[in-house]
Amino acid sequence: MKALQALLVPLALCAWVPGIAWSTDWELSADMRVVDSDGQRSLFDGGFGALRYDSEHDGVQVGRLRAALTQPLGDVFVVKLDASYWGQDDIHPVGLTEAYLEYRPYPFDGWRTRVRIGAFFPPGSLEDTAAGWSSPYTLTNSALNSWIGEEVRTIGVEGKLEWLGTRLGHDVDLGVTGGVFGWNEPAGTVVANGGFSMNDFQTPLPLGYVGGRGSRVFPEQEIFHEIDGRVGFYVGAEARYLDRVTLLALHYDNRADPTAVDLAGNEAWDTHFNSAGVRVDTPSGWTAVIQWLAGTTTVVYDPDTYPFPFHARFALISRQWGRSSLSARYDIFGVSSRAEYDLGDEDGHAWTVAYIFNQSVHWRFALEWLHVTSEAANRVLLDESTLARENQTQLSIRYTIGSAL
Amino acid sequence: MSRIGAWIVRLTWLFCAATPAMAGTLNVQANLADREPFIGAVVTVRGETVHASAAPISAILDQINLSFVPDIVVIPVGSTVEFPNSDSVSHQIYSFSPTKRFQLPLYHGRPYPPVHFDQAGVVTLGCNIHDAMVGYIFVTDATYFGRTDARGTWSVTNVPRGIYHVSLWHPLLRDSVASLDREVTITGDETAQTTVQLAQSLRPAPLPASARLRDRY
Repeated sequence: MKALQALLVPLALCAWVPGIAWSTDWELSADMRVVDSDGQRSLFDGGFGALRYDSEHDGVQVGRLRAALTQPLGDVFVVKLDASYWGQDDIHPVGLTEAYLEYRPYPFDGWRTRVRIGAFFPPGSLEDTAAGWSSPYTLTNSALNSWIGEEVRTIGVEGKLEWLGTRLGHDVDLGVTGGVFGWNEPAGTVVANGGFSMNDFQTPLPLGYVGGRGSRVFPEQEIFHEIDGRVGFYVGAEARYLDRVTLLALHYDNRADPTAVDLAGNEAWDTHFNSAGVRVDTPSGWTAVIQWLAGTTTVVYDPDTYPFPFHARFALISRQWGRSSLSARYDIFGVSSRAEYDLGDEDGHAWTVAYIFNQSVHWRFALEWLHVTSEAANRVLLDESTLARENQTQLSIRYTIGSAL
Repeated sequence: MSRIGAWIVRLTWLFCAATPAMAGTLNVQANLADREPFIGAVVTVRGETVHASAAPISAILDQINLSFVPDIVVIPVGSTVEFPNSDSVSHQIYSFSPTKRFQLPLYHGRPYPPVHFDQAGVVTLGCNIHDAMVGYIFVTDATYFGRTDARGTWSVTNVPRGIYHVSLWHPLLRDSVASLDREVTITGDETAQTTVQLAQSLRPAPLPASARLRDRY
């Protein structure tokens, strides 16, 4: 991590030095929310509620303050930095959600390669395609992508090879991606200990965490640590039919040693999952997304091994007309547990309906209603009913400025 | 040449020029498979016996709202195309088409020299930064060329007598280009008409830029 910072910070500073940098693109945005929630204590406050904002955190809230920088270094290298403040109490300081150097040579004979080094989201989200790995359809991510945002990040190297068939007169583009990474051994600890949540939070680097500092039942879980010295990997494939249909598949395995613990007490969770999905876009403004994810995270407390199989899937439909869009999504998620008292066991489903109005490139207004019903065994630790029906309504006003806007 | 001789030449020229039988008009009607007008199809016309390429031109293909504008430019062989980039973001234009391979970074506020196209064929353009951008340059050695209008028609006047081959092209065609070739004879001052009817539907057009802008990164 220190090496990464040493690499990226000077590059970022170069961007502001006149005469050295050129073609720098930057973007700043402030997303403020008015929230009404009857949710139980959230993951971010050491509870097992499934919402980002619980009933103690409604009213006016900071949704996200974001600063992004894109700095080309010559024609084929570019540095991208994305920093955010999430306003989640004072426990999550400003941090980087992504920071990487990309090598993007010009395509040749229909083939294109991309190489990224640094910290970034692995491919595989059909939902989070807008700026800052956010969703253009809803304020809140699906349970599936909420979990990715909380726990999964590539800190390593990724290569992508694409065949640009549509530029050769065919109807299909194909791509394969592979990545190797470290510093993600704790991935799995949140889903096993706290279950799925529905939010738009992205655990910031380098020291971001999920959980409540000082909580006795769900204390802070730091996500980005190298614990066992083992390298994880993922492989993915993508196929596109024109710009209408996108198919994605990803296999992820952090290859962690589930017996490993570092000196600070951070545990390695052996986590692997498969994910697949399809998105369809039509010329009349309709979008449909279906995505599925299933995996297992395992930890060993000698002499016992505790596997936690988990799954999440969603279906989203969205209609865009002019500057407005109306979207609805249905989520299903769950975690199985063999631990004592079934701790970690969870089953849930959720409905999300969101209306978004992009008044201009600067102003975005959004109204979202989210209902989650979930049964989580862990809630007995807080003397709560294991069954929770939670509702959250958010009004969002976001203002964005940038060099390209 | 004597004065009388000069007058004879002038009168002969005037007679020929005033004789409408020497040149005619060619109308091309292009229809889609469902018989609706085929708008924006590229039409090229070559003479069978006498063939001359049109004179080179200087064309402009702009970048506006992450799109190539226009989406297709038709130019004679030997022409140049300028890419001014009216967007506030940078682009990196490329082509790996055999007709013309090139790479052109377009950083905002910096002029770049025009690109020269010296070989006939289709050049497919992309942007190395914005994947969804696609544009086409159709480089032709034909004598006459153009694109069909909103009624699917295109016409050319003052076409000398002779036999001509009419061709049609569009990036979304599924029909083979050869199957759409038509032979037309211009015999005199009358208007020759040919209709090109597609047998297959077009491939789906790219989504409108507004659909892509909400994914703007």
